Amino acid sequence: MRPKVDVPSRQDLRVFGGYCVAAVVYIAIGVQYLDFMLSVVVGMAYLLVAAWLVPLAFRRLRR
Amino acid sequence: MSWAAHDLEPYAFQRHLGLKVAFVPLLIGSYAPDLMTKWFVYGIHLGPWELKASNPAQFHRGWPGFGFTHSLTFGLLIGLVIWKVFGSRLWAISFVIGHWAHSLTDMGDTVGTMLFFPWTFHFHVDAWAYAGQTGRYTDAAAYFSGLGGMWDLVWIVYGLFCWRVLTSEYFDRVIYRADAFWPWANRVVPRGALLTLYRAAFFYGTSRWIAWTIWAHVVHHYPYDLSWGGPHWVPAEHP
Repeated sequence: MRPKVDVPSRQDLRVFGGYCVAAVVYIAIGVQYLDFMLSVVVGMAYLLVAAWLVPLAFRRLRR
Repeated sequence: MSWAAHDLEPYAFQRHLGLKVAFVPLLIGSYAPDLMTKWFVYGIHLGPWELKASNPAQFHRGWPGFGFTHSLTFGLLIGLVIWKVFGSRLWAISFVIGHWAHSLTDMGDTVGTMLFFPWTFHFHVDAWAYAGQTGRYTDAAAYFSGLGGMWDLVWIVYGLFCWRVLTSEYFDRVIYRADAFWPWANRVVPRGALLTLYRAAFFYGTSRWIAWTIWAHVVHHYPYDLSWGGPHWVPAEHP
């Protein structure tokens, strides 16, 4: 019996890559300005902009 | 206290409980004990005034103080209020699970929590030093140098291992269906934004863990001390 490996699809990896880029920027800002990391609300707002709004705007512009 | 575990634990519970829990109250429950207390532990500035507890550990976890917010009994009480006032058993149970996870996790430090308040006995495992009284930055440095930070890392790795819980497909099939909150929110907020918000706590916990670790060990050079009760270079508070 072969063990079943749950492998992410190319689409999953692309989404994950986008979040990794957003995380790298967040971490860079956070290390520089610690206050930026203190609020979960700021974290959520940042993610909303970086992982939803920016890609959405980019897709609209490409059309 | 924990710095990232409270952001990450709800995803692990979600993974195992599926449609039996609602994610939003699970996360609110996980944050709830510190929402009411942490700002006063580290202190805040309001113009010329600084509002800060004179004894942060006592205020945060003790009695007299707000330590009751970290008890299982308080979580249960708030859960019952949610059930009776809002009429949602799902939200009540989910809140209690999130809250209890927080209370039990915070038992890991040297101050611990009064799990069965009004019994004021502190249950504490002493795995990492409670250093909230030293201020936010020293506390962060200490936490990310000891077993507390490693405990958070366990949740990050587990979350990545259960990566399907973060996918768009899982969001549609489980998260959205389990709780009427999401269709309600979807009337004004697009689905893509809701999916991003669902993932936000995992992103926040993981990114912060990495950032604080870099800050503590690359920018500054606080020594790691992964011994039980460490790091011992910081004065640990006890009940």
